[in-house]
Amino acid sequence: MNTNRRTRFAAAVSGLAALSLLVSACSGPAAGETEEPNDTNTTTGENGGTGEEITLTVTTFGTMGLDDLYAQYEEANPGIKIEATNIDTGGNALTDWQTKQASGAGLPDVQAVEEGWLSKVMTVSDSFTDLREYGADDISGNWVDWKVAQATDAEGRIIGYGTDIGPQGLCFNGSLLEEAGLASDREGFAELLGGDDATWENFFDVGRQYHEATGKSWYDQSGFVWNAMVNQLEEGYYTADGELNIVDNQELKDRWTLLANAAADGLSDNQTQWDWGGGQAFVDGSFAVAVCPGWMLGVIKGQIEAGGGDASTGWDFADVFPGGPANWGGTFLTVPTTSEHPAEAAALAEWLTAAEQQVAAFQAAGTFPSNLEAQQDPGVTGQSELTATFNDAPVGEILGSRAEGVHAQFKGPDDSVIQEQVFGAAVKEIDAGETDAEASWNTAVELLDTIVG
Amino acid sequence: MHTTTAQSPPTRLTWRQRLSRADVRYSPYAYVAPFFILFAVVGLFPLGYTFVVALNDWNLLTGPGEWVGLANFQRELTDKLFWNSIFNTFSIFLLSAIPQLIAATAIAAILDQNLRAKTFWRLSVIVPYVVTPVAVTLIFGNMFGERYGLINNVLSTIGMDPVMWKSETLPSHLAIAAMVNWRWTGYNALILLAAMQAVPRELYESAAIDGAGAVKRFFAITIPSIRPTMIFVVITATIGGLQIFTEPKLFDASASIPGGPGREYQTTVLYLWDLAFNRQEFGRASAVAWLLFLIIVAIGLINFQLSRSIAGSGPGRQKRRRKEKP
Amino acid sequence: MTTTAPPTAATAPVRRRRRRSGAGIQTGPRWFVYAMLGALFVGSTYPLYWSFVMGSSDKTALVEMFPPLLPGSQFWANVSEVFATVPFWKSLGNSMIVSSVITISVVFFSTLAGYAFAKLRFRGREGLMVFVIATLAVPTQLGIIPLFMLMKEFGWTGSLGAVIVPTLVTAFGVFFMRQYLVDVIPDELVEAARVDGASMIRTFLNVGLPAARPAMAILGLFTFMTAWTDYLWPLLVVPQNPTLQVALSQLQSAKYVDYSIVLAGAVLATLPLLVLFVIAGKQLVSGIMAGAVKG
Repeated sequence: MNTNRRTRFAAAVSGLAALSLLVSACSGPAAGETEEPNDTNTTTGENGGTGEEITLTVTTFGTMGLDDLYAQYEEANPGIKIEATNIDTGGNALTDWQTKQASGAGLPDVQAVEEGWLSKVMTVSDSFTDLREYGADDISGNWVDWKVAQATDAEGRIIGYGTDIGPQGLCFNGSLLEEAGLASDREGFAELLGGDDATWENFFDVGRQYHEATGKSWYDQSGFVWNAMVNQLEEGYYTADGELNIVDNQELKDRWTLLANAAADGLSDNQTQWDWGGGQAFVDGSFAVAVCPGWMLGVIKGQIEAGGGDASTGWDFADVFPGGPANWGGTFLTVPTTSEHPAEAAALAEWLTAAEQQVAAFQAAGTFPSNLEAQQDPGVTGQSELTATFNDAPVGEILGSRAEGVHAQFKGPDDSVIQEQVFGAAVKEIDAGETDAEASWNTAVELLDTIVG
Repeated sequence: MHTTTAQSPPTRLTWRQRLSRADVRYSPYAYVAPFFILFAVVGLFPLGYTFVVALNDWNLLTGPGEWVGLANFQRELTDKLFWNSIFNTFSIFLLSAIPQLIAATAIAAILDQNLRAKTFWRLSVIVPYVVTPVAVTLIFGNMFGERYGLINNVLSTIGMDPVMWKSETLPSHLAIAAMVNWRWTGYNALILLAAMQAVPRELYESAAIDGAGAVKRFFAITIPSIRPTMIFVVITATIGGLQIFTEPKLFDASASIPGGPGREYQTTVLYLWDLAFNRQEFGRASAVAWLLFLIIVAIGLINFQLSRSIAGSGPGRQKRRRKEKP
Repeated sequence: MTTTAPPTAATAPVRRRRRRSGAGIQTGPRWFVYAMLGALFVGSTYPLYWSFVMGSSDKTALVEMFPPLLPGSQFWANVSEVFATVPFWKSLGNSMIVSSVITISVVFFSTLAGYAFAKLRFRGREGLMVFVIATLAVPTQLGIIPLFMLMKEFGWTGSLGAVIVPTLVTAFGVFFMRQYLVDVIPDELVEAARVDGASMIRTFLNVGLPAARPAMAILGLFTFMTAWTDYLWPLLVVPQNPTLQVALSQLQSAKYVDYSIVLAGAVLATLPLLVLFVIAGKQLVSGIMAGAVKG
């Protein structure tokens, strides 16, 4: 079954790739693209002469949708061999990167860096190649501006090319909502939550209705919901000028109370993050909604399949998000200075993040392009195997609309630590029904003091 | 543990050549030197240097910072998470060592009977020993899944509530202890079996004549006789058990906090790893290493004293040793 | 660097009495004994069998309430996924190299030093031996932080040398060999060789080494197992050039949604030792038992 899926999948992607090549050929080369083939061609030429093969190592995490692009790149660039490693979660990828960074060896030629821990990377930004040496300045206009700004360090060096951004919508299971007698179509569901004025209060109230009608949980677990609630604030765990901003942050605490009360009312299913019972929880009707940044769609698609479900399981994607626009995650491809082939690595990173590849990655994994041209591409806005899993929802269009008004929140150096180790523990407490809002908030504050203070 | 060395008869050196004399005098040093040199470099120096690192505000990525004296130690000794890890380590250790010792003794007693296919049964109890801790954890980590794991499935069919193996303290400790026990019980049973087989048969016969039943003979003769071995099993289990890492590290594949959402099963070595390689606190992690080091040495000394006073009471032991002497 | 207890052994596994057949006590009726043994057999082997059943099914088998009784047909498909995800053969080779080199080194240096401590007289012998015994209880594995920095300094990170070097010698090995040799080689034999004019090294090679062979085999076996199962240290220094254990954990973190592949990998990684077990299981049993005759 797994192999079948893979083959089908590979066929689909290569078909799409061919298509997008055609598209880009018609639309004419963009600024960066004229340069890139030259780059790799000269490399190839050199290698052709010496018969030497360059191996580029790539480390990614989660579901980035790049797997099938590597072979394509190898084919187009004889003499380049790509060895790719993927790590399950961004958190584990951070540990992996830190260990290798500290040991001074073992970093790949191309390292994927998540927005959540970019601030940590920035503390050693001189360990990354300044991509301006390889033409980053010329193509920086291809991305949404805040994405480029995030990847630029204090000295103005650009150390990463953006892959995707994480505008969030809501995944919901239409069949379950229908059983509960709630609006089950995309528009109706968005309406039910308040459309453009959707609030968290209302989101949880609808959840309570659902819980009352069915006795089941509303969403999978509180961690990701909390993540969204924090990420959409003007300032999150840090103020814009880098000060810790938690203990006296009333807005944050109010949101925590909302979430804790919801969990206490049985709205959270207390699933294990990133595991969901090997995907089963997405199939057996345990919960009806989940917060969904673009890249999460690919994760959920994989989970549904792992749990033995398919399009008929009823998942859908709605153009609505409580509390307004929110971004979660998004990734950069960087080239550590330890790379022996920085030019080739930079060329690969550039290629992987160029418009047509972002389109292919999106279709494979739902990673919403940070590349402006790709955002408008019919491959993003149209139908694909991904959209089929989500009841043919115009996923790309919805994400594009969800991306409007998203701003880049300042992330402090310990942002990911606070998210995972401080609030991670408190979230688990409220999900397990052990404590109330006040006590769990105190848990978090105490942990903050221990871990970050 | 026996430390005295054998007595050599007086040596006759008078007629030896000078070269041979040098050979005799210096060769022994050449034989022991590789061990001591290598051990100093890869064993002792790192331990010492750990202390130096612990005196600094040392960052994983950016390197040594300020000299902070003993502040890192002070910090750890007042840190709830450090004590939490110590508690977890000891709890998991006790939950594994005690049942394991009891089970291993019972298994050894069963294997110590007149059995058909003796070798087969002995082999079967150490099958788990060839499964590495990483593999054991992957296998059991799945069986102990909270929502859909095999064990909770079985529990629910017999009408019990699912157990939160990965997010509650006692269940997670039991689960990890189960993994350790699965791998080591059979191994220790064989060690105890060997000790049981060394018990002089006459002891049992005379007890039987005195009218002692099987159970009484087991507790009056077998257990006291194998006590030194039992202590040895405990000592070795202590040194390994207090440094447990693999099982808690890999127990929950996707957990964002190593050792459980509320650090329910974060052991001290895992805490050390988390401090050093996630939280970048090399200095504090080194302090933790030293504190753990001191704890293990202290327990080792207690063990040593304990075994010295208890080992002597094992019947027949001293006698047998003396018989071996030339 | 490892969570496993070191193999237990304290003194020479010299056979000093005829092995008794059966103990002085019998507990319960025969059927009860065999029922217990049967239960033990199931307990020790079922988790492994279950992994094989799961590793040979597709992932939906894991979702079922009860595991199927018989293996499925997907084992090779899952195994090829394992190969596609982690460098299995390379990591297997790495583990072979690492464990073999460590074993040879530990056994060699331990025998040499153990022999000197047991049978040679030299100034400072007692003191040095006390040092060895004292370091037995010292958890040198806790020196990982400076070792990690050292490996970085030397630029060894990522190479197998970084895994091997910290465990080239163990105090336990020296202690073990000394305890064995002190009983097993009569002092007269060493003396006789000396009287015949043999050099020290000849005496060691002709008298010490042959006598030490059984203990070397036992020490080698346990050293190999310890090195093979080590996880923390290789995880830190060779994540990019993994040993088998590290590769297996990377498989888990890459394929956690697809646990049948992870379990297929776990079974696959256990196979080498399982084969060894089938071939040399008896020796393993007698090794464990001989290594601990008295404790």
